[in-house]
Amino acid sequence: MSASIGFGFVAACAVLSALFVVRVKNLVHAALWLGVTLIATAGLYAMLDASFLAGVQVLLYVGGVSVLMIFGVMITRKHDGLVVEAESTSGPRGVFAAVGLFAVLATSIVMTPELDGAVAVETVTARHLGRSLLVDHVLAFEVVSLLLLIAIIGAVVLARRRDHGVERKELPAPRREEVSS
Amino acid sequence: MTLSHCLILASALFAIGVYGVLTRKQVIAILISVELMANAANLVFIAFGRYRVPSAVGAAPGQLFALFSLALTVAEVAVGLALVILLYRSYGDTRVGLASELKS
Amino acid sequence: MMRPILLALTALLAPALVALSLAVAPSVRRRGAPAAALTILASLASFGAAVALLFEHSARLTVPWLRTGARVIAEVGVNVDGVSTSMLVVVTFVALCVQVFSLGYMHDESPPAFGRYFAYHALFLFSMNLLVLAPNLLQLFAGWELVGVTSYLLIGFYYKKPSAAHAAVKAFWVTKFADMGFLFGLLTLFVATGSFSFNVALTPPVAVAVTLLFFLAVVGKSAQFPLHVWLPDAMEGPTPVSALLHAATMVAAGVFLVVRADPLFAQAESTRTVMLVVGVGTALFAALLALVQTDIKKVLAYSTCSQLGYMIAALGAGSMLGGFFHLTTHAFFKALLFLAAGSIIHAVGSNELSKMGGLARRMPVTFAAFTIGALSLAAVPGFSGFFSKDLVLEAVAGKLGSIPLALLVATAFLTAFYMGRVLVVAFLGAPSSDEAAHAHEAGWSMKLPLLALAALSLVAGFFAAPFAKLHGQAYHFHFGGVAAVGTAAGLLGLVLAYTLSSARIARATRAVSELARGSAVDRFYEYSFRRVTLVLSDSLAWVDRYVVDGMINLLGYRTIDAGRGMRPLQTGMAPDYVLAVVVGAASLAAWTVLR
Repeated sequence: MSASIGFGFVAACAVLSALFVVRVKNLVHAALWLGVTLIATAGLYAMLDASFLAGVQVLLYVGGVSVLMIFGVMITRKHDGLVVEAESTSGPRGVFAAVGLFAVLATSIVMTPELDGAVAVETVTARHLGRSLLVDHVLAFEVVSLLLLIAIIGAVVLARRRDHGVERKELPAPRREEVSS
Repeated sequence: MTLSHCLILASALFAIGVYGVLTRKQVIAILISVELMANAANLVFIAFGRYRVPSAVGAAPGQLFALFSLALTVAEVAVGLALVILLYRSYGDTRVGLASELKS
Repeated sequence: MMRPILLALTALLAPALVALSLAVAPSVRRRGAPAAALTILASLASFGAAVALLFEHSARLTVPWLRTGARVIAEVGVNVDGVSTSMLVVVTFVALCVQVFSLGYMHDESPPAFGRYFAYHALFLFSMNLLVLAPNLLQLFAGWELVGVTSYLLIGFYYKKPSAAHAAVKAFWVTKFADMGFLFGLLTLFVATGSFSFNVALTPPVAVAVTLLFFLAVVGKSAQFPLHVWLPDAMEGPTPVSALLHAATMVAAGVFLVVRADPLFAQAESTRTVMLVVGVGTALFAALLALVQTDIKKVLAYSTCSQLGYMIAALGAGSMLGGFFHLTTHAFFKALLFLAAGSIIHAVGSNELSKMGGLARRMPVTFAAFTIGALSLAAVPGFSGFFSKDLVLEAVAGKLGSIPLALLVATAFLTAFYMGRVLVVAFLGAPSSDEAAHAHEAGWSMKLPLLALAALSLVAGFFAAPFAKLHGQAYHFHFGGVAAVGTAAGLLGLVLAYTLSSARIARATRAVSELARGSAVDRFYEYSFRRVTLVLSDSLAWVDRYVVDGMINLLGYRTIDAGRGMRPLQTGMAPDYVLAVVVGAASLAAWTVLR
């Protein structure tokens, strides 16, 4: 019972903060609300007996990704203090797609009877994970590390400031398409 | 708190992420929305790992997948932000409509 | 047994070899004189072999050509017998005379054209020998088509002249149309009997069908009404070509086919009746047209049609000997007439009778040769034409209530009359032009063939009995009533031509002139072509242009429209693509779950 109340609370936090992420005007706030969603999800992980993942989530996502996003927002936007305007298109398209997608997914989840018969398996500890990663799936692990290395190098190469050579393009006039849709 | 609850919550978060991708104009805001979607997907992995469907086999596959997914997401964020910076440097703005050369 | 085969192969292959080497060695051909020498040597060899064959036995050599499994469908080879030998002698002799004559006649041509001319001649002689020596109808057909090709090439020899090119094409497709009959006849024959033999037994309906189809080809090749229209136009070719192809040999190939396939035609009495009617009709019709021609070659061309009509009529009446013998004598005297005309044209520089006149004194050899030819054509007793024409008249006497006989006698009168007119206008009286006044005899290369052919035209008639024996038939000359009537008609024609003034002749033949000027048959073809073929083609073209093309264009435009319509989908905006992905994925999920 208490678990259900806890789940409902955390779930409500996650959904609400996610809505804020996509709706708030201030981009910095959006990045911060993303952090809230991620923390709520980390709570859910903990409830699902994935405490290691919860820790990783907080460290990596909240501490890494959210902060990176805030930096990104700050770098790429002329800002006035901490207020960065986030433009959103109006219109039913996004709502329609999101609601439709949710309806389809929820219906399919509800209509799948085996899910209710699913039982909790024994708790997975960090020890399990570590053995699994470094013994059973060490090749995949190494491949991912290589991928991260490539991503870092790629990011550096892409984002490196070129002071000479490529000239900064003039800002083109805003296009009609952006406004109309 | 059952598996289907978790999945429905994940679906909701995913749908909200889709909404953000579709409505936001700043590339960086879209990137944030994509993070929401990835997060929802991770939640699904972990939920399935916890409530294993009896027929599934293997040691902690859900959490392993979630871990790999996290790593990939981080990589994606790094590259994505680099691209955003590049875009900003090229156009002086990060609105997604600017990079629409694909149209013609 | 071997000798006749070797001789026949010599006759066949000598010109083939020359034609082939002139085709693959342009340097020799373009030098002119060597090509002419080679060709004439080949013709001489052919002629020598042909004459030697006269004293040999029949022989036959065939090698399998087309086979299906173990069964041989068709053979090629040489077939030496009375018919092929006598035709071979005629062909090679006339070809030799014409080629020697051409040495002088074509002397002013450039060396490449001169060489090309003789290369064509070598090819023609090979084709004609292939046809003549054919052991079956299929090889005969091959030769038949080949002479058609060389005819096309030689008529169009002056291909830079539009009228010559046009005449060549016309000759080609008129005869080609007729050749369809040959082809279908061959197919019918093969389906019915499984062979291409000259001599197979057929059921009566098949016999009539096959021979009628063959006769269609004969009508085209031998320029019978109503497919005679190409022959007068074929006079655009050099005059020696007209003498060889379009008077003596190639046009006679049609008659030769009927002679060759006599056993087949003998089984189809109704076809023979058709031949008799067509032959007599053509003889009279063409003789009438010959009356009013002003071009000396056109007179001779229509005269050729008319004489071929005689042969066809004789064959239609069942007299193979009459038709074939007339073919032989006609080959000599008509080639003679054409070569003499060529000699005149060479001297005067024009085909028009009105530009000639008084040539008898200026060109005595030509005059003598032409007179012998004309008298022979007019069937004056003693000349070769008299004997052969008499045979023809005897053959048709009594057939179909003597109407053919009467018409052919009338034709004999007309023939004598128009030949007499040409003689009078061209050779007697005063010269009508400066060229005629200063005309002079050409060299020996042109006179010699004239003399040789004149000699044969004089004496060939007396060889009727050996000729008949060659074909296993008996011939005894007797001067009967038919011969008397025919001779009287001919002599009357000559006398009238000499005594009547040109003005009266013109008045008498005004109706025919009208007919000729309109050239009714040509006009009919043109009319039916315009009314039927062109309208049909136009309507088909309309369908093609607006229905077929329209559908294609519609498809094209719809594709472009569809592309234009789908272009807005490609906005270049990433969210739009995401939407598409989401909608697609959600649809797939919905379909999977809700199905």
